[in-house]
Amino acid sequence: MRKTTLAVTALGLTAALALAGCAGGTTSGGDSAASSTGDIRVWLNGTDTPQDARDYLKTTFESENPGSTLTIEEQSWTGLVDKLTTNLSGSDSPDVVEVGNTQAAAFTSAGAFLDLSDQYDSLGGSDLLPGFVEAGSYDGKFFAAPYYSGARLVFYKKDLLANAGLTVPTTLDEYVSNGVALAAANPGVSGIYFPGQDWYNALPYIWEAGGEIATQDGDTWTSSFSSPESIKGLEQVQEVMTKASVAPKDGNETDPQVPFCEGTVANLSAPSWVKGSILAPLDSKAPGCPDQESNLGVYALPGADGGAAHVFAGGSNIAVSANSAHPDLAEKALAIMLSDDYQTILGKAGLVPAKLSLASTLGTDDVAKAIAEAAANAKLTPASPKWADVEASGALQDFFVSIGEGGDVTSLAKALDEKIDGILNS
Amino acid sequence: MSAAVTTAPATTRTPHRRLSAKKRTTAIVLGALSIIVFLFSVFPVYWMVNTSLQPNNEIRGAVPNFVPQNLTMANYETVIFDPGRAPFLPALGNSLMVTVSTVIIALVFAFLASLAVTRYRFKSRKTFIFAILIIQMIPAEAMIVSTYRVLDGWGLLNTIGGLTLVYVATVLPFTIWTLRGFVNGVPVELEESAMIDGCSRTGAFWRITFPLLAPGLVATGVFGFIQAWNEFLLALVVNSRPEMMTLPVWLRTFQQVTGTTNWAAIMAGSTLMAIPVIVFFLIVQGRMTSGLVSGAVKG
Amino acid sequence: MTSSVMLVREHESGGVQELPLTPKNKKKRGPSRAKPGRFTPGVLLLPALVILAVVIGWPLIQLFVMSFQEFGRAQVFGAPAPFVGFDNYTRVLSDPQFWAVLGRSILFCLANVVTAMVLGTLVALLMNRVNKVFKVLVSVGLLLAWAMPALTATIVWGWMFDTQYGVVNYLLEAVSGQDFTNHSWLIDPFSFFVVATIIVTWGAVPFVAFTIFAGLTQVPDEVLEAAQLDGAGAWQRFRLIVFPYLRSIFVVVIILQVIWDLRVFTQIFALQGIGGIKEQTSTLGVYIYQTSLGKGDYGTGGAIAVIMVILMVGISIFYVRRSLKEEEE
Repeated sequence: MRKTTLAVTALGLTAALALAGCAGGTTSGGDSAASSTGDIRVWLNGTDTPQDARDYLKTTFESENPGSTLTIEEQSWTGLVDKLTTNLSGSDSPDVVEVGNTQAAAFTSAGAFLDLSDQYDSLGGSDLLPGFVEAGSYDGKFFAAPYYSGARLVFYKKDLLANAGLTVPTTLDEYVSNGVALAAANPGVSGIYFPGQDWYNALPYIWEAGGEIATQDGDTWTSSFSSPESIKGLEQVQEVMTKASVAPKDGNETDPQVPFCEGTVANLSAPSWVKGSILAPLDSKAPGCPDQESNLGVYALPGADGGAAHVFAGGSNIAVSANSAHPDLAEKALAIMLSDDYQTILGKAGLVPAKLSLASTLGTDDVAKAIAEAAANAKLTPASPKWADVEASGALQDFFVSIGEGGDVTSLAKALDEKIDGILNS
Repeated sequence: MSAAVTTAPATTRTPHRRLSAKKRTTAIVLGALSIIVFLFSVFPVYWMVNTSLQPNNEIRGAVPNFVPQNLTMANYETVIFDPGRAPFLPALGNSLMVTVSTVIIALVFAFLASLAVTRYRFKSRKTFIFAILIIQMIPAEAMIVSTYRVLDGWGLLNTIGGLTLVYVATVLPFTIWTLRGFVNGVPVELEESAMIDGCSRTGAFWRITFPLLAPGLVATGVFGFIQAWNEFLLALVVNSRPEMMTLPVWLRTFQQVTGTTNWAAIMAGSTLMAIPVIVFFLIVQGRMTSGLVSGAVKG
Repeated sequence: MTSSVMLVREHESGGVQELPLTPKNKKKRGPSRAKPGRFTPGVLLLPALVILAVVIGWPLIQLFVMSFQEFGRAQVFGAPAPFVGFDNYTRVLSDPQFWAVLGRSILFCLANVVTAMVLGTLVALLMNRVNKVFKVLVSVGLLLAWAMPALTATIVWGWMFDTQYGVVNYLLEAVSGQDFTNHSWLIDPFSFFVVATIIVTWGAVPFVAFTIFAGLTQVPDEVLEAAQLDGAGAWQRFRLIVFPYLRSIFVVVIILQVIWDLRVFTQIFALQGIGGIKEQTSTLGVYIYQTSLGKGDYGTGGAIAVIMVILMVGISIFYVRRSLKEEEE
């Protein structure tokens, strides 16, 4: 009996391999074209990478590798995981890809990226942002290098704060009570702008209350949104959403500068580059409110006990596709993107560079100061290869929308934990 | 179509003249209903165009502008020429090429297949008809990875041909299924008499049956056109190179999670994407409606 | 697929029979004895069969195999996929979320089919009664709605129902005098599906209306007149005369609507991108997408797809068998 089962299983396995082999048949290009010249395709997502950096990458690469060309293909963040899953597995794979730091693990664990362990030191070694190195590593190997990080800051209207007799808060509780007071004093204005789907902004409350998103024990992950500490943080989130914010309860975090410029937002927790959108000239295609420049203040979100709060460190990793037709050229392109010159361009554009030693390139204005404070205490999402799947499932957005609607925090958090446990341990 | 009755036939010959007052009331009510149907159908289209002609900062006001206050073509300039965005014209070209080839190939293949299932009777005929109905029920979302691998194996990623191939297969079942009814409506006698006059069977099919099917071809072609023109998910995954993008994928680049959602630009893009379909519909509409019915009645 | 290919081939060598004219043509059954020409059905079917086998058949087999495997993202990149028997199926069938999605999809499908059929028929009857000017007016309106791509339409409707700047909230407030400021239409699942139904119906009514209207023009006027002289009311005339004439049109249109609405994807997917709670608003197509591409669990996604196809076949088998039987007669 057992023998038959084994034989059947073996047969099945062979069939599966045959199927996979048939469909794959892809990687041959990888080793055959190990030298010479070629066209390198680099996938960058959204418009985060400034044009200067793109130009620098292209000209530098092409002058260092005569005969080869480098094409930057801009991809949208929407649907990126789907596109990477299919395209990295195919024969027409892009060579260098940018991937969100929380998405990286899904691909490093699947074998989608080339092992860069031997380049770790030459790319920057211990100078690279540690959290991002961790996000790009799997099984002791280094697959995806840090690309840049971003920090969330709080932008505020100086006059609104002054009129209410408030000052820049020094603790999270004060930040929340300020927000509630501002909303009460200015009907129709969000003391703290908090659209329901903006789950990144909810994480600091959990972390500052001593909670975690999920904890790991061996191979098992336990989602802990319903731990007593997390619940405390989540109740504070609910307080902000219901008492301090008039943002749509199912809205997302796009375009926060619009309500801000309309004058319906007092405090706005948003990525650092939003400053540019707020102050965009009136004759630009997406005009902001440049007249507010003197009224615009910024600070790092304060923590529970003062200092900067643990905020979510968004950002990107960059990797070479395992199916790249020109892996050596791709590695050279990646090296340029981690060079001091390139990373300096990113830093000047308000993105936190991938190397600790380049933090000073952010400048010295108050935004830069706030970024430095926030980045120092930034935290990441759980380093599980399945975490990207949790994000893709949309469960977090759903959860915080329900919180914003005034749902019961404890039961909602328990249901969310069950769902996340299911995904992380599947 | 054009021969359709303009007034209810039953009432025209009603002998009682007294009814004319009631008739007038009915006419007014029906006219009002027509206007309501018209407004409900057209308003979203109007709102799309209206939004697209306003500056982005003006569309978000407490009171919406029902006509553009400051008419501007800036949004169209943005979506067509902005170098920071994916280019519009190549996407339009790709969409047109894929859609037109899909419609033509699907119609020819479907014509041949529907001849087989209407003019001949063979054992697996029922199986075939049943199969093409079932194929329409398969959720395409589930097959993306497999489809991707098939195209990859044939070196058809990032090509017009690859996308066309998949779209042809996607619309073929429906096209065959509908066209079958139309072919049924063409009497075999016509083919036979042509053959008596010396045509080969092939000749009879192409010279007699095919032209007679024109309304049916138009009616079924329209569906292929819409499907191929609108398909989003597969195009996103299969044609990942920016220069190979189709219009729906291009449209999505304006709606980003971390970027700015520019409603005015999205509406301009939507308008541009809808225009070719509307033009196509206007060209074929007369034949489309008459074709639909003969297909359905005889199917 | 493969089996039908083989069957056709098998039969090519055998004689080919003529198909008699369908009785619906109501023409005398002439002696239709065309000589079998060069085009045997096999050859005629070949292009369609080849393309379907390659593009649909083969991936379908893969999907089916996958539904019995543990197939995640690692397997996409070449890791061996172990067979797990019916594990994926038992997991799906024991997941309350699946049943919720299924029930929701069926309800949504029913609501949309009924709404589109009723409204479409009424509009068709309207077009049949009004004068030329109004008829053109209605036709133009319907044509524009019909020509709007589903993705575009959803985005436009989403913008009209926008929480903060949507024209719908503004108009409702202006008309009703009640406060619709920042009213979210998508956050409540029921209200989400009302919006989705409006979008889907708006796009479906033109097809239904045009088809039925074209059918109405074929109902002989004399019969209707005679009926009216006999004192039949409007409803009786519709039920006893018009409907039987249009029966086959109704059946075809309904079956198409059922298929299309049950696997609705674009509208729901795009609407979820604008607002709403995904978990409470996913329909089968979107659920499959979330499971396969979103979570990277292709095995389970495949199982759901297979279950869905079986379900749809079950729903339509009665119709298909009957219509095929009619054809054979």
